[in-house]
Amino acid sequence: MIRMITTRLASSSLSIVILVTLVFVMAHLTPGGPAYSILGMKATASSVAQLNARLGLDAPLWKQYAIWWWHLLHGQLGYSYLLNRPVGQLLWQYERNTLVFYISAIVISTALSIGLGLLQGVYYGRWPAKLISALQLGFYALPPFFVAAMLVLWFAVQLPLFPASGITDLRAAHPSIGAYIAHLALPVTTITLLTVASLSRYFGEAVREELGKDYVRTAMAKGVSFPSILFRHVLRNALRPLVTMIGLSFPYIFTGGVIVESVFNYPGLGWLMWRSALSQDYPVLIAIVLIIGLLTVIGNLLADLVNGLLDPRASYE
Amino acid sequence: MSEQIIPAQGLPAAPLGSWVAWITQRSTLVAGLAIAGLILFIGFVAPFLYPPDPFAIHPDHALQAPSWAFPLGADELGRDELALLLSGGFATLVVALPAAALAFIVGIAYGLTAGLGPAWADRVMMRLLDAILALPSLIILIFFASLVTLNDTSLILLLGLISWPGLARLVRNETRAQRGRDFVLAAEQLGGGRFYIARMHLVRVMAPVLVVNGTFMIGDSIFAFSALSFLGLGVQPPQVSWGSLLESALDIIALDPWWLILPPGLLVFGALLAASLTGQGLLQRWGNGR
Amino acid sequence: MSDVLKLENLSVSLPRGRAGNVAILDELNLTIGAGEMLALVGESGSGKTIAALSVMRLLPRGARVQGSIQLAGTELTALDDRAMRGVRGRDVGMVFQNPLAALNPSRTVAAQIQEAWRVHKGGSIRAARARALDLMGEVGIPQPAQRLDDYPHQFSGGMRQRVMIAMALACAPKLLIADEPTTGLDPLIARQIMQLIARLRREHAMGVLFVTHDLSVVEEHADAIHVLYAGRSVEFGGARQFFAHPRHPYSAALLNSVARLGQARLQNIPGQLPEPEARPAGCRFAPRCAYHQPACDAAYPALIANGGTAAACLFPLPAGGVLQAAPLAKPAGRNYAPQLEVQDLSVRYEEAGGWFGAGGKQPPTLQDVAFSLGKGECLGVVGESGSGKSTLGRAVLQMIPYGGHVLLDGHDLAGLHGPKRRAQRRRLQVVFQDPRESMNPRLRIGDIVAEPLRLQGRISQAETRRRVAALLGRVGLNPELALRLPSAVSGGQAQRIAIARALAAEPEVIVLDEPTSALDVSTQAMLLNLLKDLGQSDALSYILISHDFAVVSYMADRIAVLNAGRIVEMNETARLIEAPQHRYTAALIEAAPQLRSRSR
Repeated sequence: MIRMITTRLASSSLSIVILVTLVFVMAHLTPGGPAYSILGMKATASSVAQLNARLGLDAPLWKQYAIWWWHLLHGQLGYSYLLNRPVGQLLWQYERNTLVFYISAIVISTALSIGLGLLQGVYYGRWPAKLISALQLGFYALPPFFVAAMLVLWFAVQLPLFPASGITDLRAAHPSIGAYIAHLALPVTTITLLTVASLSRYFGEAVREELGKDYVRTAMAKGVSFPSILFRHVLRNALRPLVTMIGLSFPYIFTGGVIVESVFNYPGLGWLMWRSALSQDYPVLIAIVLIIGLLTVIGNLLADLVNGLLDPRASYE
Repeated sequence: MSEQIIPAQGLPAAPLGSWVAWITQRSTLVAGLAIAGLILFIGFVAPFLYPPDPFAIHPDHALQAPSWAFPLGADELGRDELALLLSGGFATLVVALPAAALAFIVGIAYGLTAGLGPAWADRVMMRLLDAILALPSLIILIFFASLVTLNDTSLILLLGLISWPGLARLVRNETRAQRGRDFVLAAEQLGGGRFYIARMHLVRVMAPVLVVNGTFMIGDSIFAFSALSFLGLGVQPPQVSWGSLLESALDIIALDPWWLILPPGLLVFGALLAASLTGQGLLQRWGNGR
Repeated sequence: MSDVLKLENLSVSLPRGRAGNVAILDELNLTIGAGEMLALVGESGSGKTIAALSVMRLLPRGARVQGSIQLAGTELTALDDRAMRGVRGRDVGMVFQNPLAALNPSRTVAAQIQEAWRVHKGGSIRAARARALDLMGEVGIPQPAQRLDDYPHQFSGGMRQRVMIAMALACAPKLLIADEPTTGLDPLIARQIMQLIARLRREHAMGVLFVTHDLSVVEEHADAIHVLYAGRSVEFGGARQFFAHPRHPYSAALLNSVARLGQARLQNIPGQLPEPEARPAGCRFAPRCAYHQPACDAAYPALIANGGTAAACLFPLPAGGVLQAAPLAKPAGRNYAPQLEVQDLSVRYEEAGGWFGAGGKQPPTLQDVAFSLGKGECLGVVGESGSGKSTLGRAVLQMIPYGGHVLLDGHDLAGLHGPKRRAQRRRLQVVFQDPRESMNPRLRIGDIVAEPLRLQGRISQAETRRRVAALLGRVGLNPELALRLPSAVSGGQAQRIAIARALAAEPEVIVLDEPTSALDVSTQAMLLNLLKDLGQSDALSYILISHDFAVVSYMADRIAVLNAGRIVEMNETARLIEAPQHRYTAALIEAAPQLRSRSR
């Protein structure tokens, strides 16, 4: 057990190192290099030269790489001249909003997916499963910006139930729960609709596969009732691929998240990234790429660990 | 030896009858191909059949709902929405399709190399791949889109060079899995060299998986381009695409311009649906073919 | 003795594709008394598994059951679903094939045995756990107290099967149904499981319905035999009378196709089991029967009782009929010019995975293996799973890295590379265990067989076609098969195609890695005879790897016995069987199917 945890941690640490290196490379691709990353695009040539000298940016690449790590581990993520704030300070607020958003979406999606997946697996081959299948296919193909736009059209414009924009309320230091719910309702619905489509399909397949396995037949031969079989036998085994899938779906949630945040002007990381890209605010952009990458790796690690705990076989590798 | 017999005891009976089954037995593949054909027509043929100029401004018809003169209405500048849609379709397909092809080729090349090469090369390549995959593709796209000047070529390269990792990982896993199978071992024993085996056996067995995934990748490519355009980082004005049309409509959503929102959204949806259905249909047809 | 199980005119039909329901089982009548073991025997597709499942009412949706199923007087077909569920596990216990898949990998053994108890008897978990402990002890699991909270993957195959039996016995059922419980287990373990079941049935006065395709497995312990062919009863009766004088030609043929130690010739049953949709109206075995007469096709023969058995045949075999008890007469002391020599062979794996990754299990290693193979000689390699016999084969074939030397005609194969290596490898060909897996599912049979021809150099299409047809003919197949895909041929045909492909490379040595393990007994006989004939006509040398001692003894001139990666004994076949030197060898011989004149 301990060995499994340590191997997973080591593996993820390695991934993080490679990730940071990749982003370092990306940072150097920005016009002007890291100096501009720190000073911003409007810097003059002389101030760039000055900064280069002072920060040792004319030093060899490997040294810069080490400095990069030094800065990161001290929480220094650069400075945005466009917004006139250190990036780190800027990110925290937005990150909080994004986390609330995504975690709510994941929790609701998982709950719905388990329910739908169970139905789909149990009724496999018959019309309820086929209907769910068709709906899954349909919703999976819906682009997030279209869904978001339609939701705004129906529920914010035609029926003014929810606000269409979240900028002001959620920029406050401690927004109220009510504010969160009001502003999150439509965005979370959007992301949930799309995530449930793929998650429930995956889970449905896992359930169906488990139901066809020999140990289910053995349980029937013992006289165990069907609900018991479903919840005490099948669920344990079918949840494992679901957990993996949830871990793997983080990148997609971020992707959808950026779009949804931009539609609703929801002040989260995705929204910030979008605006920074449009205004070419590279320090912020790079920092966000890094954070998102880290969150994804951590998400995968958590999913792996949960899986390892659920699987008795994993402890004995 | 014993046949696989799955007992159905205790499984709840399905409500209603089996007439629904008849409907759902329609071929998924046919539906997918039909929609794909429609989209291709809209994107590549229709623009040349519909006369009105998409960029002509008619201020006195601004924000007009659909009518005979403007079959899909007009936008806030008075431009013909249908013409815009067709132009946008062309712009979308002309970038997304070559990008998907590029990603397809790169992904297969990378995956085959990792799958057939020595163990150390495989480990290194896969580690790199895992790290790349940790970054959501749209995020990377947004980043690089902010760096370069955006035109058709640069967009094709951008889109093509971002979405191949998923395919690469799949190809590598498949290659590794098929490599150890008995019929490959038998072929080696018969005197087949590495390239012969890859060509004659591996590709043949993997072909269905590759085609299905390639189909899905086309959908992904169209989605990515539309998303970028939606965020303002894809197609550049005065050019339009379905994504950018949606974005402009969103700006004035308070005015309830449903004819500006539904068509572009439905078209992107249609394209993605076509890709999904076709891929799904092919998968059903070919089964697992293992 | 009251009947524990009584089946009267049991008929089962299953939905098959668009054709609607097809009859799988027709009018089965059998009875099992308390403490009696009845073996229900038939090939796969004969309907025996369906019969067992219908007693439990575990059939797929759409199945139609007619007739009567009485369990200790209770008519099971009259029960509703809820009552039937009460019967399952309480009055009838069932044990399946492949215990690893049949146990939930995520729950402890104790939990699964307890479930069997608590579902019917309720009560506290502590009481159920105590019962589980008792059961595990009763089925012979060592140190049961420590192993209660272990998971299925922590047990070996034989132990897992014992756990399954413990689960089935939890509520002291009147009837135990065992569906091929020993298939896939090593012969020594299989024997132990058989002995366990036999003992339990006596101690608990339980009826046992033992379903199997292999008659040799039940020879020692069965009280009654019931043979099924294509869904109908063909012969049944007391075991002793059956084995002494089988009446139905099919039963006799089945008995004669099982490889036994020292048998001279295996009987092979030509043809194939008919599909359920295409069963003949008269006697269903008639198309394959050596004694076929026109009268057989008119209508299904009624059962005629003679002696202790009843057979459904118009022309039953006379008593004391066609049994082959001729002991083998292997010419001793033949001199073979040495062709293949193996010295100091060792295989060590640093990491699991690659071709042999078996999900966490340590792959076998080999040590100090040495032998020589003469031209035209057949060397048998016998061992249980984990002994390293497959590894040995793959090392000789140069498929895996190894330490030591493999010399072919004096040339050390390890030192070669590139085209020279490939050229030498061609001289050693292989036939794998799983016939379908050894062919590319997307290539046509003709291309599969032609592959070695094409790899040898340029060859015209016409010439290819001619040679492929010739090769298919040599292995007894219709050349028309060349146009089909592997999925369209049977297992036996697929294995013959694999042999044809190997022959196309014109090898000198063929390594046969469990070539018949995945096939029915009668197909096995056909294949072994084919290999024997080819070996003689083409002067082929074989390395025959198998866990089945009897099969190996039928084919091999010499036998090497492998245990835990080492050769523990190697000798000429006849001498080895008569006077084994090593304890392990003796145990393997003891567990192998014997000639009937020597058994009991």
